[in-house]
Amino acid sequence: MSDHSFELKGSLFPLSVLYCQDLSAAAVKTQLQQKLAQAPAFFYRAPVVINVESVTQVPDFEAIAQVFKELELVLVGVCGASAEMKKLAQAAGLASLQLSKSKTPAKESKEKEVKTEAAVAAPVMETKVVEQNIRSGQQIYAKGADLVIRGTVGAGAEVIADGNIHIYGTLRGKAIAGAAGDNQKRVFCHKLEAELISIAGSYWLSDSLQGEYWGKSACIGLQDDKLVLADLL
Amino acid sequence: MSLLDYFRSTKKNTASTAKERLQIIVAHERNRRNSPDYLPQLERDILAVIRKYVDIADDQVSVSLEKSSDELSVLELNVTFPDDKK
Amino acid sequence: MAKIIVVTSGKGGVGKTTSSAAIGTGIAMRGFKTVIIDFDIGLRNLDLIMGCERRVVYDFVNVINGEANLKQALIKDKRIETLFILPASQTRDKDALSKEGVERILNELAEEFDYIICDSPAGIESGAMMALYFADEAVVVTNPEVSSVRDSDRILGMLSSKSRRAEQGLPGIKEHLLLTRYNPERVVKGEMLSVEDVGEILAIKLLGVIPESQAVLNASNSGQPVILDQDSDAGQAYLDTVARLLGEDVPFRFLNVEKKGLLKRIFGG
Repeated sequence: MSDHSFELKGSLFPLSVLYCQDLSAAAVKTQLQQKLAQAPAFFYRAPVVINVESVTQVPDFEAIAQVFKELELVLVGVCGASAEMKKLAQAAGLASLQLSKSKTPAKESKEKEVKTEAAVAAPVMETKVVEQNIRSGQQIYAKGADLVIRGTVGAGAEVIADGNIHIYGTLRGKAIAGAAGDNQKRVFCHKLEAELISIAGSYWLSDSLQGEYWGKSACIGLQDDKLVLADLL
Repeated sequence: MSLLDYFRSTKKNTASTAKERLQIIVAHERNRRNSPDYLPQLERDILAVIRKYVDIADDQVSVSLEKSSDELSVLELNVTFPDDKK
Repeated sequence: MAKIIVVTSGKGGVGKTTSSAAIGTGIAMRGFKTVIIDFDIGLRNLDLIMGCERRVVYDFVNVINGEANLKQALIKDKRIETLFILPASQTRDKDALSKEGVERILNELAEEFDYIICDSPAGIESGAMMALYFADEAVVVTNPEVSSVRDSDRILGMLSSKSRRAEQGLPGIKEHLLLTRYNPERVVKGEMLSVEDVGEILAIKLLGVIPESQAVLNASNSGQPVILDQDSDAGQAYLDTVARLLGEDVPFRFLNVEKKGLLKRIFGG
């Protein structure tokens, strides 16, 4: 006989991930304060995970947790931790999360520049240009670059870029820009009929894209984690 | 019979053609499904042997297997020889 | 050297075999030596539509396995001299069609024939992928209906990435759109996707529009490819389609609602 008042179910929640080269409590505090100043409302009591993959020195988790408490952020745990790091994090009462193989490939590339701020001063990106229609079931990924599609992106297709995405046709599928986490990247298209648009991990489904820009040319960006639609021209 | 019926009957009744074709081909295929795998090849081999002596067409040899009781199966072979005009 | 044309769709039941039979027959009627191959594995359909079901002795897989040669397996059409059919196997082994085997047979056929029409099965499994792999041109059969259009889009993706031409960096397969079961009345009412709607989504050149027609069922009942029913709308639409495939510029018919005269209303058109 099952007790329906108590159930443990698996669920997926998007969490912000902090990448920071210097994990000394002081550095973390300064960086976080700067970031919070940009968008205080969004980060209020936000659950955060720290990526410790490229960190060389073992951080003082207790001190960092204290910083988070002061800044009214919730430190959930770490990800990308080595066995040793894991033990230490857990000792400090933090969870060790599995770095999953997600569609945003930034987490996979180990030689990727470690970010100290969310806005990356990226190296010169070579634009990937695709001169054909993207069909249902196909996927294009422009790693570390902008993506230009000279054609239509069909329903059921996915176009992904670490940079911006420009579609000189109709977007009916999914467009994922700023895949590496850069929220300044945008999606430009000639006709907006998208299934999904994502910028730096935040996404909107076609329901949220309805309105005066649906079926027309548009430029889609992220501002204060809110979707902003604007004229293409 | 009304005027319309008269005109209609001159149109080919394709459904009955279809039914006839289906009855033949489905029976043929069901038979093959129930028979051992070697039967088609057996039929072709027999045709080849007979052809060494008499010139006959593909459909003048037929091989089929019948189960007359639980233990006994009968292999029936039919060969139709053309009229000997020599 | 023969031209290999695959008739495919992704979605089932949209008119691939009907179209393969009609187009193959149409091309042969023009004097070209033509063979239509049924690429289905396990379910044979082309022979029934062509009316030669009782003359099947050997099939595609028999030839690949060396159990028979092409000459023994090919069925010569009784109506048109230059038309031949290679029936499908009734095996259940999905690996029965090997790339090497299919290539060998296509090469052998290419020496003798002008056109090789590959009737693809539905889906994107081995029979369908094998049918499109060696193609030079593709006729993508689509119904003006959502799942058919999406599946056709998927198949177009396969044509541009999973074919031999794509793998070897050769010029791509020439893609044609064949819209079947078109009903202009429903399009006007706004109940059916129009030619323009489908064209906009799939973005390939329109080869032909075949109207929804009673002639198609009559044709398969009698084992006569519908293109031979030259009085019917579907038959004529296929004749136009074949002409365009052969490079002729033919205006599109059957796109608009026809005003049926009294006699046509009584006896059906």
